[in-house]
Amino acid sequence: MIDFVQNTVDGIMFGSSYALLAIGFTIVFGVLRRINLAFGASIMLGAYAGTWLHVHYQVNVLVVALTTLVCTVLAGIYVERLCFRAIRRDAALASMVSSFVIWMQLEEAAVHLLPERTYAFPSFFVAGSFELGPFLFRGEQTTMLVLAALMVGALHLLLRHTRFGLALRAVSESPRAAAYMGIDTAWVMLCAFALVSLVGGVAGFAILATDEQITPFFGLWATFKGLIAMMLGGMGSLPGAVLGGLLLGVIEAHAQWYLGNEYKDLSAYLLLFAMLVLRPGGILGQRIHGREALAFRRV
Amino acid sequence: MDDYVITVLSNIGMISFVALSAYLLLLTGVISFGQQAYFGLGAYAAGAATAMLLLPIWAGILIGACVAGLMAALVGALTLRLRGLYFSISTLAFAEMVRLVLLIVEVQVEVDGELVGPAGAEGFHDIRWMFERDISLGEFMLLIYALLALVLVALLLIERSRLGSIFRMLGSDDLLADMQGLNVVGYRVLAAGLAGVLAGIGGALYAHFTTYVEPQFFNVMLGVHALAYGLIGGLGTAFGPLIGVAIDVGFLEAVRFIQGYRMIVFGGLVALLLIFMPRGLLDEERVHRLKARFRRRGDAHAAGS
Repeated sequence: MIDFVQNTVDGIMFGSSYALLAIGFTIVFGVLRRINLAFGASIMLGAYAGTWLHVHYQVNVLVVALTTLVCTVLAGIYVERLCFRAIRRDAALASMVSSFVIWMQLEEAAVHLLPERTYAFPSFFVAGSFELGPFLFRGEQTTMLVLAALMVGALHLLLRHTRFGLALRAVSESPRAAAYMGIDTAWVMLCAFALVSLVGGVAGFAILATDEQITPFFGLWATFKGLIAMMLGGMGSLPGAVLGGLLLGVIEAHAQWYLGNEYKDLSAYLLLFAMLVLRPGGILGQRIHGREALAFRRV
Repeated sequence: MDDYVITVLSNIGMISFVALSAYLLLLTGVISFGQQAYFGLGAYAAGAATAMLLLPIWAGILIGACVAGLMAALVGALTLRLRGLYFSISTLAFAEMVRLVLLIVEVQVEVDGELVGPAGAEGFHDIRWMFERDISLGEFMLLIYALLALVLVALLLIERSRLGSIFRMLGSDDLLADMQGLNVVGYRVLAAGLAGVLAGIGGALYAHFTTYVEPQFFNVMLGVHALAYGLIGGLGTAFGPLIGVAIDVGFLEAVRFIQGYRMIVFGGLVALLLIFMPRGLLDEERVHRLKARFRRRGDAHAAGS
């Protein structure tokens, strides 16, 4: 029982980083109805830029964090210009494939920056490890959880209580109607990309600072975890992304503990596949999915 | 031709099967990230048939194609309700499941005093059908291209037939197809199964060409590349994906001087291409125009004589 609770706690802690990645996918999907496969790679390029400074100039961890954020946002804007803005509205597939080749491109650029397989990433603690009854809370993971909670709270305020948030939600509801209302949709989309890149940069930095190392597989890993967490929770839904991320973390933690390391990813994919077959909308996205299905039936 | 050229050409041929598989599904309007799963299943099934059960290669390829096709049809039936991104992610999840299960599965039998069979993460070694019969790489390449030509002809025939129109109709509008009295469910499962068969043949050939398969080869990169090939080459004809493969693999080998910067150059080029031609080099419109031009020239000849 103690193991079970401890695993759940660990899962939630780690899942909070998945949640941030999922938010990146879900906001882009909500606004553009397209998937940005280059998301993980842009975070990776940002983190590599930060690590590069760290390796060559031994800069402070805060400079690394700042560089990671700035470069991730720049990479995100590059992806938006090339793969989304420039491609016709009716060619969603082309956007996806385009973001895929740009993923490969960014990844190769990152590997040119730092050609070896692993590099140390500076660690970043705020909280120390502490015990609460029989349970251990690791400091770096607690920091991550708090950071994720702060980010989600800030995003909620931004989306629900500012004019920009209103514009973003309007574009996500209907780009054309939003344009008629005088909203500069292209600008909103660019801002959405910059915003999710910022969230992704924070998530990437927090994850890497916990791992204390970075490898060229980070881009693929981040893209997959984010996508799975988003699908579990339901596409285009912010609470869904958070819930999906936490759920993914918990499932992985339990599978790893009870079944072994090689079942960790397998259980996550099995859960995802079962979820898609049985309840395609995800946990919280059912309503959206249902509405679309209803509209389809009515036509 | 030296072995190196033969290997490159054979790789182009074998990857083409996966590209065609992804292309067939694209025609019906769904995007699969998971065709590599059927490539992998075909490879393992065919390898098991020839190396463990000591069957001849044609039986191996047939078994590989059938296993992959049946599995694909089953997954197609399960994911029938899903569209768009939901479908894509479900295929991705399935493919990763297959890969991770193959990393765990260990089934070995003794053949001539040696253990043969899938050995988890170690992969499936000693699929030595080619060695045992002294078949050269060049001869096997001919087999690959003969099968590829056969498959291509079959696909081109399908595209000209009623079935091809039905697939394209499913691609543009499910509801419309339903209204026409078509069995949408049946045709979707059929398309998924056929796509699985294509990928399975490629996998069966791959297992025998390299004599060794490991689950790591069937990762998502193979699947997404297969998808990208169709889109680069064009969605208007079955030659499209082949052009895509040739551009990517051929480019990789031809432009040695940009080694290491390959993806930076290639990625940028493809991204630019997709801005101007979102449905690839040979899209439906261009194929239609080309066909019309050929037909007109043919008519002119006929009239002249």
